[in-house]
Amino acid sequence: MTFERYQRHSLIDWFAQDLVQTAKVAIIGCGAVGNEVAKNLALLGVGSIDLYDFDTIEIHNLTRSVLFREHDVGKNKAEVAAMRIQKLDPNIKVNYFAGDFWDLLPLDKAQNYNCILCCVDNFEARIKLNQICTLTRTNLINTGIDSKFTQVEVFPFANNKQVACYQCNLPNTVYERMQARYSCGWLKKIAVTEKKIPTTIITSSLAAAMATSKALALINGNEFTKAESILINSATGVSSISNFEQNNCCIGCHTTKKHIFITKSSANITSKFNFSDNAKAEVNTSDPILVSYRCVKCNPNTNDCTVVFKKADDFDASLTTCKQCNHDSVDVVIQDSFTTHELINNYAGKKIPVKFLRLENKQQTTIIELE
Amino acid sequence: MSNINIIIRTADKTRKAELSIDLQQTGADIIQSAVENWSLPTDTDYSIVNTTSGTTIAPNASLKDSAVVDGNILEIQPVLVAG
Ligand SMILES: [Zn+2]
Repeated sequence: MTFERYQRHSLIDWFAQDLVQTAKVAIIGCGAVGNEVAKNLALLGVGSIDLYDFDTIEIHNLTRSVLFREHDVGKNKAEVAAMRIQKLDPNIKVNYFAGDFWDLLPLDKAQNYNCILCCVDNFEARIKLNQICTLTRTNLINTGIDSKFTQVEVFPFANNKQVACYQCNLPNTVYERMQARYSCGWLKKIAVTEKKIPTTIITSSLAAAMATSKALALINGNEFTKAESILINSATGVSSISNFEQNNCCIGCHTTKKHIFITKSSANITSKFNFSDNAKAEVNTSDPILVSYRCVKCNPNTNDCTVVFKKADDFDASLTTCKQCNHDSVDVVIQDSFTTHELINNYAGKKIPVKFLRLENKQQTTIIELE
Repeated sequence: MSNINIIIRTADKTRKAELSIDLQQTGADIIQSAVENWSLPTDTDYSIVNTTSGTTIAPNASLKDSAVVDGNILEIQPVLVAG
């Protein structure tokens, strides 16, 4: 029965159904492109497919989402997509994770995927996924679309220690645009309307076909030695292929050493909390932490601050307005770098509210994933 | 200052210019000039590809460092964000 199902694939000389059936692939983002990628991977018989999305289905998604129906509106995208592709091929293993991949995808799990397909709709998520993939040396395929163009980028991290990452060639304007959505560096501005980019099933299916083809090549063991980008004009069919060179000033990868050591630790800060022989050594946190705040008018004494120690991303710029005096006079302290000494002395008993800690020495990047 | 002659165009090929350009200019400089001169949408981000060598030019790298030479064709491509 299973062989008969894939009989046509077996006639293709480059198609290794056995490798495809044992492959493990993750799809991050189950919107328009994610739907098409999931459908393609399932029909090809990819053995294990994990779907991640925090978002719920809206009625306007239905013009581009082959796996969604009108009665699915309001349900989680990953859950519905998983259920539908499981029906496409009951022989494959499908899991879904309804939430943010940053919280739900442990680094050791990321390492086990043949590749991760990035089908999200914003730069922040792409940069975070790029971090996970560069640190775990997991192959990454990024996709992007608009109403006319399709973009697919392959980052073959698994077999190449010196390869460009997603951020190596990212324009400065992307960072400027992201920064414009924050005030005081890391606090989200209160009312920011995201620009809506119109897309169609034409560009999303084209991106997914290309991305799936690249995923299949990685599964089949094709050696990619460089990161590459493919841009296709869906109206004319004209395409452009280019290579990415590693950028020595890349903020995503230039500090990462050739040797990366990944370990796990409890997030609880106790007196035994130690990750370096040197208590003064700096550790970087994967996410900025809002350490404390203080109204300089109501509490002029610098010691009178309110300690928070939570992810800065959970707060917005309203925090800078004092609830007592109503002035914009609140000083907020946000850090992404600490010493062991500082953590134990100031925050014992608290949990470090980030995905991982990062230490650098001359030879090695150490990543401590927190649980 | 050393100049070279290049062709610059947009990915959809609706804009094209032949120009003499300083090798010290960066990829970001050229993108900015193209966006301004051709009134390209400012809510989109762009990268620049040397279509002759098939290599993307890093935003802060000079044309000289990116090994751009006389006669190369550079293409301004959108960096796509929707999914
Ligand atoms: Zn990089």
